[in-house]
Amino acid sequence: MSQFTLLKTKQLTKYFPGVVANENVDFVLNEGEVHCLFGENGAGKSTLCSCIFGYYKPDSGSIELKGKSVKFRSPGDAIKNGIGMVHQHFVLVDDFTVLENIIVGTNTEQWKLDLEKSENELRAICLEYEIDLKFNSLVRDLSVGEQQWVEILKSLYLDAEILILDEPTAVLTPEESKKLFKIIHKMSNNGISIILISHKISEVMQADRVSVMSKGKLINTVFPKNTSPQELTNMMVGREVKLRVKESKYSKVSSSSKPLLSVKNLKYMNKYKKFALDNVNFELHSGEILGLAGVSGNGQKELFDALSGNLVPDSGAIIYDGTEIQGKSSRHYMDLGIGLIPDDRYREGLIGDFSISENVILGWQRHQKYSKNFFLNHKNINKFTEYLIKEFNIIAPNASVPVNYLSGGNAQKVILAREFSHSNKILLANQPTRGLDLGVIEYVYEQIKLKREEGFAILLASEELEDLLNMCDRIAVISDGEIKGTVDAQSTSIQEIGMLMAGHAEVSA
Amino acid sequence: MIRLEKRIEVNNAWIALMYLSACIIGFLLTALLLWLSGTDISKAFYALYKGSMSSQKTIFSSLSKATPLILTGLATVVAFRAKVWSIGQEGQVYSGAMSAYMASLMFFGLPVWIYLTLIIGFGALGGAFLGALSAVLKNRFNVNEIISTVMLNYIMIFFLSYMVGGGPWTGVGDVALTYSQSNPIDDTAKLPFLFDSRKLHLGFVLAIVCALACHILINLTPFGYEIRAMGHNSIALKYRGTNTKKTLLYLMVFSGAIAGLAGVSEIFGTNHSLKGDTLVGLGFTGIIVGMIGGLTPIGTVIAGVVFGGLASGSVYMKIIAKVPGTLVPTMEGLFLLTFLIAGVASHYKIVRLKKDV
Repeated sequence: MSQFTLLKTKQLTKYFPGVVANENVDFVLNEGEVHCLFGENGAGKSTLCSCIFGYYKPDSGSIELKGKSVKFRSPGDAIKNGIGMVHQHFVLVDDFTVLENIIVGTNTEQWKLDLEKSENELRAICLEYEIDLKFNSLVRDLSVGEQQWVEILKSLYLDAEILILDEPTAVLTPEESKKLFKIIHKMSNNGISIILISHKISEVMQADRVSVMSKGKLINTVFPKNTSPQELTNMMVGREVKLRVKESKYSKVSSSSKPLLSVKNLKYMNKYKKFALDNVNFELHSGEILGLAGVSGNGQKELFDALSGNLVPDSGAIIYDGTEIQGKSSRHYMDLGIGLIPDDRYREGLIGDFSISENVILGWQRHQKYSKNFFLNHKNINKFTEYLIKEFNIIAPNASVPVNYLSGGNAQKVILAREFSHSNKILLANQPTRGLDLGVIEYVYEQIKLKREEGFAILLASEELEDLLNMCDRIAVISDGEIKGTVDAQSTSIQEIGMLMAGHAEVSA
Repeated sequence: MIRLEKRIEVNNAWIALMYLSACIIGFLLTALLLWLSGTDISKAFYALYKGSMSSQKTIFSSLSKATPLILTGLATVVAFRAKVWSIGQEGQVYSGAMSAYMASLMFFGLPVWIYLTLIIGFGALGGAFLGALSAVLKNRFNVNEIISTVMLNYIMIFFLSYMVGGGPWTGVGDVALTYSQSNPIDDTAKLPFLFDSRKLHLGFVLAIVCALACHILINLTPFGYEIRAMGHNSIALKYRGTNTKKTLLYLMVFSGAIAGLAGVSEIFGTNHSLKGDTLVGLGFTGIIVGMIGGLTPIGTVIAGVVFGGLASGSVYMKIIAKVPGTLVPTMEGLFLLTFLIAGVASHYKIVRLKKDV
């Protein structure tokens, strides 16, 4: 196979303060291929793509496009050279229509807008790729999957020859992902080269070639058909990893036991006059893990906020051990023994500029263990922190480093350490493994399981269905603010949950 | 090629170097300004030295001028550390001065120490009240604290100028009316002088005590923890069970009380009659002092003393070197800029890169 080399990085190296994000990376992209960048979080995939897209300037090494050395000063340069990128977090204007979003900033040649001409061109593209989008609808009214199409259309409209997709399926339902891959393959048939960043093995296997990255280095480039998922994963982490081991269930819950927490007809209307929570009902027992499956943005956030005292529902009840507690302060919920692992850990769970020891007492700074006669008891706090660092295996030079300087996994461990040591009844974990690498994911799940054995009632939301199937006793599926159904984790399948997630009615009880 | 890179570790020598350079560059820029305005530079700097630290008398004068600035600087530190952008120190100074003056009328005749305590206490309350008002407006109606504090500044400034410029507190006689000031306060209401200096008074002790209190409060107490946490990430603080509205209210009360003391100190320690002119700009300069002090209480004391020296020396500069009076605030502004830049630069290091191959 002698394919034409479209883009090449030579010994590309990029440093960030204290870390080497990319080290001597030689990456080769052929024309018309789907090339997957596979690796753990922090392996350097996104950095490499940001260098290619002109967002970062490499510290050394070079990038060659069609045999010529190029130096992009900004993404604008990259776009002019036919490179497009769809970021994990979309860059769209919510209050603009689809059409406006696509042509905004793309008409670089002329002063005047020609909406009609642009619309016709876009229609042709949509027809070709079988993308069904209403150009006049506002972006805020679109589903996440549709918003992604808008991003892709933007690149196609600019005649991108190279399209970089950064974890495109992270926010999609299984159905939407399938459709996305159909479009991806069509684009590659049309000669567009695609760089796909992913850490999902099922997607990786659909690529033409895979480059495995680890710790900033490109380990190897292989053909998926010549390898196996197991081999790729081992290559990625550099060690053996157990994949999909179905655990034997531990559960002492009988359906007749009294629930510790029950949620009744919970309703909440958000500022866009949409029901973010629409009649949510469920029960949570001690000693069980209830999974919450669903695509992000379907009400999980609001539900966790309500259950931790950070949102007052419009109607309905939250009953803890026989007492209604909806509308009480977050303080009250914490004092009841309810721990929270928020999904946005740097926003809601940590104070980035604070040290580890300051973060492990966040919310408990006035507790008698940590303060005495108006003063913080630094001796106790330091002792407690040292204990937690050891107990939770937090890797840090010392207890006074700001948590901003810790890796994502260690930062998450700081939250786990704090919440685990201050709660004793309920644990609310919203996406506790998001963005973490496999080693830490295993660790987090192990810890959560231990808490179940201690008798905690646990609510665990995740987008990784397989993880939920492995971890949970029951799984509730949320879509559009409604619980579409609750299934037994033993007897259900990914397909069944996927259907519920996509908003289909309950298939079986 | 060289490049700036963010520091992870703290390097004290580097920080000292940055602030030293800020000082030197500040003085160079000042020299440039003096040169442009046609003054004799060496004469001007000599006058500055002469007027600020050449004798015990001028040192006391510098410290006396530093006193209200340290206090308003500390008020700034307390608010800004929580990223509450209160610029109401000016109004709080006025309000503190007025309620202290009211107390001096109300409690006249009480034993001296009780009388003084009440005056100081009322001054603090006056400032605290104004701070609380902004906090309540923000908590209840989500009114931006910048807007509410600025507006309250205006209200207090004009309220004072009414009270002593024709209103009930206007002094007896033509002089008082012309200069919009109250009757002189009674001798028993004056803050006692230290070391018989006739310059430095109890207010300076108050300022130092407040600085130590702020230092302890911010760094060693749960409330200080909440103030700092609020400044870094108020959302996380709120999410994990702290009532941030309460934190805001308390810190604004505290900040306002300190600023109120600046008003007491200026009126009852230095000026000895209630008058708007002597209070003008104390609050705003305090913001600069707090910022130059790196939003730390100890740094604020140092910055306040430097600014006090500038204010005291500027009088001599005016007389000896004929330096225009408006040059002093200009210098203050220049120093603010160089110190702010130093503050940012102290978090970076310069890295030398090898040439690309």
